[in-house]
Amino acid sequence: MAPGAKQHPPVHIDFGDIQGDILRAYGNTYDCTSYAFVHIDCAPEQARAWFSGVVDHVTTANPWPRGEKPLTTLNVALTAPGLRALGVSDDKVGSFSREFREGMSDAARAVLLGDVGPSAPSQWERGLGTGETHVLLTINAQQPVDHKRALGKMKAAMKAAGGVRVIYQEDTEMLPGAREHFGYADGFAQPAVEGATERKVRGGGIPLQDGGWRAFAPGEFILGYPDEDTRVDPQRRLPNMPADPLGRSGTYMVWRKLYQDVALWRRTMRAAAKLYTAGDEDLLSAKVVGRWANGTPLVTHPDAPDDEFHPSSSQANDFRYDDDLDGMRCPLGSHIRRSNPRDALGWGGSLSFRHRMIRRGMPYGAVLPEGVMEDDGVDRGLVFVSFQASISRQFEGVQVQWLNAGNIFGLGNDKDYLLGDPFGKGKMTIQGKPPFLLSPQETFVTTRGGEYLFVPGMTALAALADGTTG
Amino acid sequence: MLRRRDPNVVGQAYGFQAMTPIRPGEEDALRAYLEGLYDDDRPSPLAKLERTHIARWVIITDFVNDRAWGQRRAEHLELPYLVFTSNFDGDLDSYLDELCSKLATEAAEVWGRCVGCPVQAEGAALKAYLKHNQVDCGLFFTPYGDATVPVVKDALAQREQMIAFATDSQGLDPAALQAAFVREFGG
Ligand code: HEM
Repeated sequence: MAPGAKQHPPVHIDFGDIQGDILRAYGNTYDCTSYAFVHIDCAPEQARAWFSGVVDHVTTANPWPRGEKPLTTLNVALTAPGLRALGVSDDKVGSFSREFREGMSDAARAVLLGDVGPSAPSQWERGLGTGETHVLLTINAQQPVDHKRALGKMKAAMKAAGGVRVIYQEDTEMLPGAREHFGYADGFAQPAVEGATERKVRGGGIPLQDGGWRAFAPGEFILGYPDEDTRVDPQRRLPNMPADPLGRSGTYMVWRKLYQDVALWRRTMRAAAKLYTAGDEDLLSAKVVGRWANGTPLVTHPDAPDDEFHPSSSQANDFRYDDDLDGMRCPLGSHIRRSNPRDALGWGGSLSFRHRMIRRGMPYGAVLPEGVMEDDGVDRGLVFVSFQASISRQFEGVQVQWLNAGNIFGLGNDKDYLLGDPFGKGKMTIQGKPPFLLSPQETFVTTRGGEYLFVPGMTALAALADGTTG
Repeated sequence: MLRRRDPNVVGQAYGFQAMTPIRPGEEDALRAYLEGLYDDDRPSPLAKLERTHIARWVIITDFVNDRAWGQRRAEHLELPYLVFTSNFDGDLDSYLDELCSKLATEAAEVWGRCVGCPVQAEGAALKAYLKHNQVDCGLFFTPYGDATVPVVKDALAQREQMIAFATDSQGLDPAALQAAFVREFGG
C-alpha cells in the first residue's frame, strides 16, 4: 500500500493493556537498567505462582499519576521455551512467528545475522542462546539505591518461590550525555506512532511525496492494531498475531549484547584519518555514523556540527536524503542511512517504511577514558533492544539486508562499517572527490549473546499467570 | 510477416521455467529432499551446470486468495506445484541435454515425485517431459543478458582486484601510484 494512502479513522490505543517503555521511552528518565534472564526449573504450576507475583508489579504504559515517575519500573518478556515452561500448549506456542520459535541462535539464522567467528552463538555468554533463558525481567531505576532495592526484592521473591533462578544478568547505566561508547549521542531517532508519539512525526514518521510526514499505524509495533498494510483494509482485519489471549497488546523484542572494542575503534579512525581530508578524524568518524558526535545530521550539516543541536528537540530527525542521493554529504554506507534509508531508495520511501523498529538500547560497562588508545580489558558495549510487530520483517530486514549486505545501496559487498567485521576484512566507501576507501574494517563490535522474546500485554500476562492461555 | 521475439531470450541468455504438479502424498518428501540440498559445505547440485546464472526449485502449495481486495471467488490449485526456473547461457536444447545427464540422480528425486514424469527420469524422456511442461516467461528480466557466466565471474574478480588496489594505494604520490598500478595490472 502506498505510504500516502487514505486511512480509516485514528485508532485509540489501550495504554493500560500495554507494558511500559515500548511506545513511550523511559529513556533518559532512568539511569540504571538491569536485564535479568530467568530459568524455570520446576513444574508449570509452581512457576506460575512465582510469575503471578511478578505480574502484579509490571509497569503499564498508562501515564504516570500527576506525571510523577515511579522510582523503579518492571517489565516482562518471554522466550518460546519460557512460554512452554509456564504451561502454554504447543498449539498456542505454534501460533507465534517462526523466527521467535526458532530463536536468534538457530544455526542458519546466526549466519544471516552475521553472528559468526567471534560473534558465533558458541562463543556467547553462558546461558544466552541455549534455550535455557525463559523469562526476561527488565528493571529500570532512577537511582542506584532504588536499583539495589528492586533487584533485592526480585531475588527474594525467587528464593521464596523456589525452582526459578537468574542465569544471566546485565546491568547497564546511562553514559553522560546519553552517548554510546564510541562517543555518539544515541537512541533518539525513533518511529513516530499514531496516537502515542506523533509529536516527532517530522523525521520519525513516513516521508510523504508532498514533503510532509505521517505517523506510523500502531500495529507496526503493537499487535492487535492496524498496521501499515491493514490500515486501509476495507474489512478492517488485523495483522497476524499469536492466538488469543496472548497476542493482543503484545510485541516482539530483540535483545542483543554487543561488545564494543573502543580502543580498536579509536586507533583505526586515527590511523585512517591520516590519509583523509586534512587528517580530520572527527569528520571521518561522523561519515561512518551519519551524524556528528552530538547528533547533528551530516546531511543537513556536512561541514561542522551545530553546537545548538539537541537530540530531544522535535526537529532532531527532520531530514531526508533526496537532495544528497549521491552521498556526498552523508555517505550511502553510513550507519544511520543504512539502518533507515528514509527516501534514499527512491519510490517515495515505500521500500523502507515497513522496516522500522523502536530502539531502547542501553550502554553497559564503564567508559574508556578519553584519549586512551589501548584496551583495558573492560567488558563494555551496547545492550541493543528493539520492539517490533515482526522480527523478520523489521529487525532482521534491517540487520541482514541493509547492515550486512550492500547490494540495495549499490555498495557491493560493503557491510555497515560501524558494526565492524568478524574477520577484520572489508571497507567503507566514503563518497567525495575523490572518494575515500576506509579500511581495514576491524572487529569493532562483537555479539556476546542475544534472544528473541515476546512482550505480552497485561491481559495476556494475567492469563499466563493463571494458566488460562490454553 | 513480423516474427515474434522469443519471450524466453534476452541477449544470449535463456530463461527457462517448467511447472509440474506434485503427485498426491509426495509434497512433504519432496520438500524434505530440496531442503536437504542446502549445505554450506557443499555446492548446490545445480552448480554442475556451469552455464547457469541463477536456478531454483520452488514449491507452490496453493493460490493466495484475498477477498478483502475485491476477489469474488476463491481459487485453489488441485495439486501443489513444483516450479523450476533457470537463467543460463546459450540455447535451451543443449542445456536440457546437459541437465538430463548430469543431474539424473537429483532429477529422479525431484521430478520423479511429479505427475507424468517418465519412470526413468533422465535423458531424452526427461527432456521431453520438461519441455512439455515449459511455461513461457511473462517477463524475463536480466540486467546483463549479453554477459556469459565466465564473463560475469571475471568482471567480479577484476572489481575485487581494483577495489583492493584503490584501497591499498590511497595516499601514494603520482609516481609511486603509477608504479604500483603497473605492478598490479601490467604496463
Ligand atoms: C554497537 C552497535 C551500535 C552502535 C554503536 C550504534 C550507534 C548508533 C548511533 C550513534 C545512532 C544515531 C543516533 C540515533 O539515530 O538514535 C544510531 C541509529 C540507529 N541505529 Fe544503531 N548502533 C549500533 C547497532 C545497531 C544495530 C544492530 C541496528 C539494527 C539492527 C541499529 C539500528 C539503528 C537505527 C534504526 C538507527 C536510527 C536511524 C534513523 O532512524 O535515522 N543499530 N545507531
